[in-house]
Amino acid sequence: MEKKVVITACSALTPIGHGKQQILHSLKNGLSGVKPLCDDGLLSDYIHSKVFGTIDYPVEFDFKRSHRKTMGPVAFYACQVVKEVLEQAGLDDDFITSGRLGVAFGSTHGSPTIQRNIYKTFFSGSKDQFSTVSAVDYLKSMVHTTAVNITKMFGITGRVISSSTACTTSSQSIGFGYEMVKFGIQDAMICGGADEYDTTTVAVFDNLLACSTAFNDTPNLTPRPFEARRDGLVVGEGAGAVLLEEYNRAKKRGADILGEVIGFSCNNNGGDLILPNAKGIKETIRLGLESAKIKAEDVDLISAHATGTKMGDVIEAQAIHSIFSDTVHVTGLKSYMGHTMGTCGVIETIIALYMMEKGFIAPTLNLEKIDKRCAMIKHVTDLVDSEIRIALVQNFAFGGVNTCLILKKV
Amino acid sequence: MKLEREYILKELSRIFNEKFEIKNPGVDDDLREEYEFDSIDAIELLVEIEKILGFPLSQEQKKMAMEVRTIEQICDYIQRMEYVGV
Repeated sequence: MEKKVVITACSALTPIGHGKQQILHSLKNGLSGVKPLCDDGLLSDYIHSKVFGTIDYPVEFDFKRSHRKTMGPVAFYACQVVKEVLEQAGLDDDFITSGRLGVAFGSTHGSPTIQRNIYKTFFSGSKDQFSTVSAVDYLKSMVHTTAVNITKMFGITGRVISSSTACTTSSQSIGFGYEMVKFGIQDAMICGGADEYDTTTVAVFDNLLACSTAFNDTPNLTPRPFEARRDGLVVGEGAGAVLLEEYNRAKKRGADILGEVIGFSCNNNGGDLILPNAKGIKETIRLGLESAKIKAEDVDLISAHATGTKMGDVIEAQAIHSIFSDTVHVTGLKSYMGHTMGTCGVIETIIALYMMEKGFIAPTLNLEKIDKRCAMIKHVTDLVDSEIRIALVQNFAFGGVNTCLILKKV
Repeated sequence: MKLEREYILKELSRIFNEKFEIKNPGVDDDLREEYEFDSIDAIELLVEIEKILGFPLSQEQKKMAMEVRTIEQICDYIQRMEYVGV
């Protein structure tokens, strides 16, 4: 029998704030978290894009050394948001360690900061006879470092899923976690993603001419999803986690229910690894609606992937229009913080939950003049008060991976 | 030059304090039991021991350190390796 799956806690660490109050403040006041790119002593001089969605405020990590020793920056972010989620949820230790709670958590590529330190040792030309590669560098940098540092810190013994599919990493984590609970394999799942400050990713997108470069002196004016002057994406950092629980269990223990996950889809374009693909996106949305057993007209809000690239936004707008016409509000939340890569899906899910609770839709920032090729859908250009009963969060990744999560107000 | 035991103890105290956040461990304390000092920490400690000795240890020599449990035993190990190294 399929189980009902609800979200009972969430937390996000983002370029526009840490936690609900700060994030809501930024959304309601149109504050951007995009800042000048920092000098990393390696790649920043060669990168044309000089902007980054940055967590530039202090974050206190109160972790024991026995936990810290296997953590790179990305795992610090991940463990912090999960710690906050567990505190918020009030789950008891017996359940956390029972094997009925699992983790679905990932990042784009582990910890590039640690990987970079390893390469520095090999390529520095140093004749130092003592190795500077640490015994724990692999544990800090491996692709599933977030998931297993979470299990270690909190003693979680259930399923571990560590998706690493670039921009769909954390939306897949939520989707796969949802399926774990829906089909009774686990009673609850902690799901999300994290990505640390990393110029490698910027360099890659920069080489592909996909990064924003025209607003280097005015970082807050980019990215500009769906806007006529958009010139590419802005890479960012962040972390987010949600707790998914089986409904009856959550209700029995008196948990706050923030929303329900009613559908999830994931597919592949089955071809090119980079180019946006309208057919693939449409199919993801169709499968998502089918999974949620709802019709297109039931949806009140679409959180678009909307990275601010020239063709990606056009293709996404066309795909949305083909299914929803111009009847559903569409917002692009990356306009506030850039593209937080593996984290974007969970951050956008959490923001959708916040907007559901508060009854408003944050507009796409910097959307001054809508590109004619993207104008056929119902853009949100100013903050609107609106009841959101059902929200759709869509994300697309390099490799042709697409996801669609459907959330319902409870 | 032979390393004095007193010097080794002082260096170990500094290393445990700075690197492992273990303050003034007793010389006979079981580091694993008392301070969760595990095999990963032991590998990290070997890098510091190499610095005290002033020469790198072989893989075989490092494996010999894996059974060491106390500060007293670490001192013995360092002095033994110093003797072998010389």
